[in-house]
Amino acid sequence: MKALLDWLDHRTGCKALMHEVMNEPIPGGARWRYITGSMLTFCFVVQAITGLFLWCGYAPSTQTAWESVFYIQHEMTLGGLVRGIHHFAAQAMMVVLGLHFFQVIWDGAYRAPREVNYWLGLVLMQIVIVLSLTGYLLPWDQKGYYATKVATNIAGSTPFIGEQIQQIAQGGPAYGHHTLTRFFALHAGLMPALLVGFLGLHIYVFRRHGITVPESAEGKPVGTFWPKQVLYDAVGCLIVLAGVLYFALTRPAELTAPADPGEDFPARPEWYFLFLFRFLEFELISKRGVAFGAIYVPGAIMALIVLMPFIGRSKLGHQFNRLMLVVLLVGVAALTALTIYEDGHNESHQAKLKFAERDAHRVVELAHREGIPQNGARELLVRDAFAQGPRLFKRHCASCHRFDGHDGTGQRILKAKLDADGNAMKDWLGHPISEEEPATAADLKDFGSREWVKRVLTDYETTFAPLKNAGEKGQRFLDGEMAGWCKENKAVLADAANADSVKALAEFLTAQGGRTDLEPFDEQLVAIGKDIFKGGALKTGMLTSSCTDCHAMKLAGDTESLGDGAGPGYPTLTGYAGQNWLMSFLRAPGHADFYGDNNIMLDFDTSRLSDEELILLVKWMTGDY
Amino acid sequence: MANLPPESSPVFPEAAPRRRGFLTQAAAIIVGGLAGLIPLASSVIFFLDPIIKRRNSAGGSDGFLRAANVSALPTNGTPERFVLKADIHDAWTLYRNRVLGSVYLRLMPNGQVIAFNDTCTHLGCKVDYQAANKRFFCPCHHSAFDLDGKKQNQTPPRDMDDLKVEIRDGEVFVKYQNFRTATPEKKALAQ
Repeated sequence: MKALLDWLDHRTGCKALMHEVMNEPIPGGARWRYITGSMLTFCFVVQAITGLFLWCGYAPSTQTAWESVFYIQHEMTLGGLVRGIHHFAAQAMMVVLGLHFFQVIWDGAYRAPREVNYWLGLVLMQIVIVLSLTGYLLPWDQKGYYATKVATNIAGSTPFIGEQIQQIAQGGPAYGHHTLTRFFALHAGLMPALLVGFLGLHIYVFRRHGITVPESAEGKPVGTFWPKQVLYDAVGCLIVLAGVLYFALTRPAELTAPADPGEDFPARPEWYFLFLFRFLEFELISKRGVAFGAIYVPGAIMALIVLMPFIGRSKLGHQFNRLMLVVLLVGVAALTALTIYEDGHNESHQAKLKFAERDAHRVVELAHREGIPQNGARELLVRDAFAQGPRLFKRHCASCHRFDGHDGTGQRILKAKLDADGNAMKDWLGHPISEEEPATAADLKDFGSREWVKRVLTDYETTFAPLKNAGEKGQRFLDGEMAGWCKENKAVLADAANADSVKALAEFLTAQGGRTDLEPFDEQLVAIGKDIFKGGALKTGMLTSSCTDCHAMKLAGDTESLGDGAGPGYPTLTGYAGQNWLMSFLRAPGHADFYGDNNIMLDFDTSRLSDEELILLVKWMTGDY
Repeated sequence: MANLPPESSPVFPEAAPRRRGFLTQAAAIIVGGLAGLIPLASSVIFFLDPIIKRRNSAGGSDGFLRAANVSALPTNGTPERFVLKADIHDAWTLYRNRVLGSVYLRLMPNGQVIAFNDTCTHLGCKVDYQAANKRFFCPCHHSAFDLDGKKQNQTPPRDMDDLKVEIRDGEVFVKYQNFRTATPEKKALAQ
């Protein structure tokens, strides 16, 4: 071993180099406060290792980026862990970077003769920021896609050359394959290479001047880097890694649904850029244009930071720099906290996040179940009833109906709240206050289920109460025959002795829909329900009129009708609430088989709702997905 | 370091007992090693995924794929090449009905059909059929096989790989498999 080392040393001088590296003098001896530089280097090494290996599984194109990251995350051995480490180490790097920067300013390490090294550090900071921005897009998921769009649009707001910068970054006028190939080349090639180069310079110049020693250490004996400072540094690195592993193991790196230019997303930048995001939102800033808030102001602050070594030449200047650092940090912290607070209390934003999460889970489920088609995973969601149903409900139904109180996608339907004078009211942060827009038709959350049918029979009033907001024609339903029947029979249906009869009737009616997502139907109950439906005889007492007196119904497989009903305008109940019934109903609710002349609902013919959309909507409503 | 005379560097003021120095050194190596090793090891295991996880990429439930109608085969026993199609999982993508590979089929006088994988057993090039010489011939390193797939020179390590064939309702179904190349024994590769 020793002979081999001597042989190598004779040819490379490695011993002297090691000696040089390890015996760096540390005046005053090893200290914990000196570890942040090593921690940063460690973060970069972790990123380089995990990044290189992730590269082996990643395919940068709009049809493969999300898909390959999905595969890394969910299929490959330890893929989720490696991606998690990469994801969280990037964030750890930002934290340590902030710490390192703070220390350099606070301890005056930026002052002569270390100005150049300070500037090298600032260059490294920019490189890390570019790495973070470019990495955010690579999974090509909704979050990265929309957040990065904001970033490239900001670049596009640069005066004079903005458009060119944006197009160069994007690889064209719009996002596409070349956006990914370029971002990937920057992220995995150019930026790491620059970082290594500048880091080398940074460390070289650092070694030239030695560590910046606090006054308290003066006069104390000189130590060396090895072994004590190395141990301190290593402990610091291990703590970083422990934190990263904790997050990587407890919360997988997020992968939202595949990027879709046709679907919105409540995009936010990564948490360490939230302050900038919020800063741009201030009216005072936004009214001066994007370039002002996103380029001029940060540029001016950056310029001031660059000039700090000159400002800090005097004692007073140094104190000014320290003060500015604190002001900046407090500002950043306050804006970040404000954003988190606001988003946390923004019901609509939270609902959007939840709905986006629903998509993200769903697409992974579909990718496992059906495999990802050649055109990419986005297609899985586009043709999925579970994903599209709520969107179609929101677009076509939610102007009158509600779904569990919301619009299908989890959003409450709101309107501006007005004060007595008719002016829009605002809260203490200046956000408009809103109130619920009343529905004008029934809440369809459990439409077609046993509960729904039971509720229609026993509590028609409440089920259809929103119709009272639908004007005279709506009120007609609430005063109509079915409402009257429910009133007449309320007592007998509520009678505890008839509970089984009601249950049977509901079972029978629900079974007509032929749904397979509900609890299996009880044939015996269905048979009893059928008799009640036709004859009106309950366990104790009779219904004032039987269902077939008004409603037509033909059972599946039967040639003869169970009843012919009372004619046009009395909805037929053949296959009630099943897919065929719903499709016919939605296409023409005013058809004689349904509400006839009483109808107040829109006809959803093919000009409003294509066949594919109708099927998706109906499948979602009947739990068939 | 240039601003400090090198003599001043190796000062070990804490002329501490050697044991403490050793403990610090050992701890530094262990802690530092651990911090570096965990991400590296995770990444390397991730990289080794292809040999850790076995995945089925293609094939029907029994592995037999339709190759041709029997009537499409020359009746004089001349081999003819046919492509096989299947649903293929290529990492994340599921390709429907995509070409998986090709095989030679020969209709024998007794009505049976024999099938060869057209991959050369030498180093995996596609073997041609030379009608003039009535033999299979590989353009890469000149492996040659007779019509029964027997090797005719020393280049290939073994005969051509024959495949299982079933005739179902006049259709030729082939159990498509690939085999390791460059070995004398015929060893199937995982699909």
